Amino acid sequence: MSTTPPRTTSGPATRLIAPLRAPAAVRGGALHAGAWWLWALGLATAASRTTNPLLLGLLIAVAGYVVAARRTDAPWARSYTAFLKLGLLVLAIRLFFAVFLGSPIPGARVLFTLPEVPLPDWAQGVRIGGRVTAEGLVFALYDGLKLATLLICVGAANALASPARLLKSLPGALYEAGVAIVVAMTFAPQLVSDVQRLRAARRLRGRPDHGIRALLQVGLPVLEGALERSVALAAAMDARGYGRTAQVPPAVRRVTAALTLGGLLGVACGTYGLLAAEGADYGLPLLLAGLAAALGGLWLGGRRSVRTRYRPDRWGVRAWLVSGSGAAVAAVMIWAASYAPQALQPPAVPLTAPTLPLWPAAGVLLGLLPAFAAPAPPRSAPEPAAVTRRKRLPEPPGGVPGPRADRPAMERDTHDARPDGRPDADSEEA
Amino acid sequence: MIRFEQVSVTYDGAARPALREVDLTVPEGELCLLVGPSGSGKSTLLGAVSGLVPHFTGGTLRGRVTVAGRDTRTHKPRELADVVGTVGQDPLAHFVTDTVEDELAYGMESLGVPPDTMRRRVEETLDLLGLAELRDRPIAALSGGQRQRVAIGSVLTTHPRVLVLDEPTSALDPAAAEEVLAVLQRLVHDLGTTVLMAEHRLERVVQYADQVILLPSPDAAPLVGEPAEIMPVSPVQPPVVALGGLAGWSPVPLSVRDARRKAGPLRERLTGAAPRAVADPAPGPPVAEVSRLAVRHGRVEALRGVGLSVRPGETVALMGRNGAGKSTLLASLVGMHQPASGSVRVGGGEEEAGHGGVVPHRTRPAELLRHVGLVPQEPRDLLYADTVAAECAAADRDADVAPGTCRALVARLLPDVADTTHPRDLSEGQRLALALSVVLTARPPLLLLDEPTRGLDYAAKARLVEVVRELAADGHATVLATHDVELAAELAHRVVILAEGEVVADGPMAEVVVSSPAFAPQVAKILAPLPWLTVPQVREALETAP
Amino acid sequence: MSAVDGVDTMTGRRVRPVRLGPRSVAALALVSAVGVVAFGWPLFAPGDSGVTTHAADAPWLFAALLPLLLAVVVATIADTGLDAKAIAMIGVLAAAGAALRPLGAGTAGIEPMFFLMVLSGRVLGPGFGFVLGAVSMFASALLTGGVGPWMPFQMLAMGWVSMGAGLLPGPSRLRGRGELLLLAAYGAVASVAYGTVMNLQGWTLMQGMGSGISYVPGDPVGENLARFVAYCLATSLGWDLPRAVVTVVLTLVLGGTVLKALRRATRRAAFDATAVFEER
Repeated sequence: MSTTPPRTTSGPATRLIAPLRAPAAVRGGALHAGAWWLWALGLATAASRTTNPLLLGLLIAVAGYVVAARRTDAPWARSYTAFLKLGLLVLAIRLFFAVFLGSPIPGARVLFTLPEVPLPDWAQGVRIGGRVTAEGLVFALYDGLKLATLLICVGAANALASPARLLKSLPGALYEAGVAIVVAMTFAPQLVSDVQRLRAARRLRGRPDHGIRALLQVGLPVLEGALERSVALAAAMDARGYGRTAQVPPAVRRVTAALTLGGLLGVACGTYGLLAAEGADYGLPLLLAGLAAALGGLWLGGRRSVRTRYRPDRWGVRAWLVSGSGAAVAAVMIWAASYAPQALQPPAVPLTAPTLPLWPAAGVLLGLLPAFAAPAPPRSAPEPAAVTRRKRLPEPPGGVPGPRADRPAMERDTHDARPDGRPDADSEEA
Repeated sequence: MIRFEQVSVTYDGAARPALREVDLTVPEGELCLLVGPSGSGKSTLLGAVSGLVPHFTGGTLRGRVTVAGRDTRTHKPRELADVVGTVGQDPLAHFVTDTVEDELAYGMESLGVPPDTMRRRVEETLDLLGLAELRDRPIAALSGGQRQRVAIGSVLTTHPRVLVLDEPTSALDPAAAEEVLAVLQRLVHDLGTTVLMAEHRLERVVQYADQVILLPSPDAAPLVGEPAEIMPVSPVQPPVVALGGLAGWSPVPLSVRDARRKAGPLRERLTGAAPRAVADPAPGPPVAEVSRLAVRHGRVEALRGVGLSVRPGETVALMGRNGAGKSTLLASLVGMHQPASGSVRVGGGEEEAGHGGVVPHRTRPAELLRHVGLVPQEPRDLLYADTVAAECAAADRDADVAPGTCRALVARLLPDVADTTHPRDLSEGQRLALALSVVLTARPPLLLLDEPTRGLDYAAKARLVEVVRELAADGHATVLATHDVELAAELAHRVVILAEGEVVADGPMAEVVVSSPAFAPQVAKILAPLPWLTVPQVREALETAP
Repeated sequence: MSAVDGVDTMTGRRVRPVRLGPRSVAALALVSAVGVVAFGWPLFAPGDSGVTTHAADAPWLFAALLPLLLAVVVATIADTGLDAKAIAMIGVLAAAGAALRPLGAGTAGIEPMFFLMVLSGRVLGPGFGFVLGAVSMFASALLTGGVGPWMPFQMLAMGWVSMGAGLLPGPSRLRGRGELLLLAAYGAVASVAYGTVMNLQGWTLMQGMGSGISYVPGDPVGENLARFVAYCLATSLGWDLPRAVVTVVLTLVLGGTVLKALRRATRRAAFDATAVFEER
């Protein structure tokens, strides 16, 4: 399944580097999913410290390169593109607002003037139309780009970290909720294929098999079927030992309850303290203390679970490298914010061309480390392999590909059962 | 290992007990087969072993059930999880996680098995069940036999001493069923696991059983004994036993091998006679004509160069392993797939002989209904309403026929079902009959059945055979895709065998299947090389010829 | 379990698949109180308060705080009453919700998910509803790779929507037309309210002095409120109103049958099943 693409190695340099090269990602050496999130959050923190479009562009490029180098072909890996689009949308909305709803930025260079819509008194803060200045637009662009970069960094984490593996790292007290989420994630694709199958089956009753009406009428039987299956699943879970709990001493239970509720109370008081004028002093410490207590309660609550974990992701050297590179980028940028504030926040008034500050830019490049340090996902997806093989084989007349005897028996078995792996309406044992 | 002492179970709100005064003992290391018609309490009995009845389902349990010394009254299912492994009917509803390896580990995680032990047991189980190559696969991408093996593996990792299986092979093709049964054999022989298994497909399993528990109905006491004792008195018998009874062999043979050793005299008696062929259909213009059909799913060619012609009144069995393209061919006949090349035409009864029927994928569903009807693998997929009566009314409207047509069909196929019953509360057999009635409401000249015997007990299967024969006599053509060679032998005029999307054999049943190891019915295997296929054929021959 | 198929334990009593003990209720109330601030601070924090002086960081603070609080409250609920049946049903309904969600993405406001969440909350009660709403949003974010700073807010808001449906009056008496009208009205209000509070959250993210409808920290509440209303009108009303209409239409048209199906499933799951043992 997971073989590194054979490369011809020659020369002493490559021989030296070979042991350092990232191994292929297999389950045993998989990178902890949390490492990807820390890395991405590091980049996002860095992005939140600057509005310099060149630095932000560099951050996007770094995230994009790592995603391209290390993503798998799992469905969630596509989310990077989705977040990229979302970022562009945010940018567009931001510019749209700046054009049509005016900008409080004092600007001298008027690009054009829109007719202003008169508004009643109560809407005094709002303006529609009016002058559009270059400064206002540039400011909106910088600000929008910052938010877009933040989103794109989050998108990179979404694309790289496997949600299923992430769920495995949930603390013991959240085990039940984790199972519900795993069940939901396994059932959702099944439901989609059920809908497709039932929609196709409407044809057999002489009813149209497409259109919104067909979808609505199919919904109910699918839901009923799913609910029935949930009862069977619950029975299976029960019979397999779900919900076994350890004997927790009453004292521990009481402490858990006190920590949880006391902590939540602290958090609530702290938050409301933040709302008050003088609250900033005690609000945040109270909030943090409460949070610590509540998390302590959460951790202690995990004691009731007897569950052990099968092959959890280990936090190894490579996980340290990946998360560390994200942290380093954030640290460099936070330091640079005080060292070179002018370069990180290029002013919109007066308009100046942004420059690329050398050291912060070099710091951002540290974020590229995962592209070399993280285990490489297998590139040998079955489909591309089949394509190349089919291309190489002379095709028998009539467009019929040759017998597929070169695949191992097991693999042929599955592929025949489910053509190309997609949930199929008529596979033999859906 | 398993002990039932005077056990009766009554569900909440039920008038009668689902299980009455059962007394039985299953010793350690035995493979015990549970037999009985639908609704006789098999599932209840299995549930009582794992503790799900009554802890999970609710209800009253009278008497005492002990498993490996643990009383189910004081032990909930989760506290029995380390001694009893349960695999239900639908493996998909059994899986909690999404990959094979995680699924194998799930039960152990719940029980708190230490990580090193878990790792070792997962590797052992992967080897034991031949799943090592599938370890990283998503479960959704597995075939039926593989899924069933993963389901068994997932309960084996906790090292249970008892394995409870509800119809583990009924949804599988013969090869996959063999795989699963081989695994069970191995468990019983090598590990001393006690296996309790309910199964309708007796012809597959009875030869492996050490003990048979026969539940004739919820009201009658169960019969327990060795297979050779119980089978002759059982109302449901695999063909090998029925043939043995007919020929008066004692003890009754349970496997083809036993039967062949005793069959010499019978073969001699039958040598002169020829089996009465299933009455040949009247010649007429074909109701379905498929030529050089190719269908693609993405890049995979599900069918290529398939040709098939079906005449009115003809019954054709479509056989082949899972994924051979049977369902795809049936679906193409109702226009669910657009052909990549080749042509499909259906209908074209007498009045339409001139223009040769319609092209399914270009025909409006409402129009197509009158030419061809398909009952899918899961008859439930055809049923949307919440009562039988509403379903029938909808079917009449869909087919644009006089109100009451469908209800009349239901009354014939399902005499004792109330109008207000929810279709989802019907048993498998009843649901099939309802779906069949719905499809037949439009009186299509061509009826397609996809795997109709899945989950049916012998009585329901016998009724299905009757119905299809009546339809054939009426001039309806039937194409059935099935793994059930016994059913095909009883019904079909002709058999078409598909492999990898191509037709590899097409001819009269007797000629095609007699010599085939995979598709020969038991009677044919016993009496080979003679062309006898079913017990009724032999009975008739023995009765007519002295 | 084919043997229990025919059994119908139709009782007037309402089943509670997820029981909320006093601890869970307290935890839910406290977290909801924090949630109110997390959503609403831009509108009711005075100009010189702690949050407004750090207005740029506040949304991120709450985005980091809420998941932890949600984890604590869900763990507290799980501690007292989440058995296998409830977990499996939450999982399946959340899968249905998650599968419905991408259906509406892009097409203005066609979000049938609300309809399902409201009806499930009604049938299965407030505790189940809260966990279901939160889990659905989380699962769908994981499935579509949509984990972001908005996710904890969506989880909390959807939890409220579904929990609120469970708290509506007459859970075991009101049936038929009256119930559907009540649910349709609630669904309309809830879907607009959900959209509005999520706007509030997005509004603070999009803050800064960019435009005339952005949040300006420190301004009087009235002015910010006017800007917020303008923001809602400009951005999302086109989504929120159709969504409310879709929810109302779906509830009135399909509500009856879906409620029936949910009640049937609840009955079959036998959440309050009691096992009785008798001697011979």
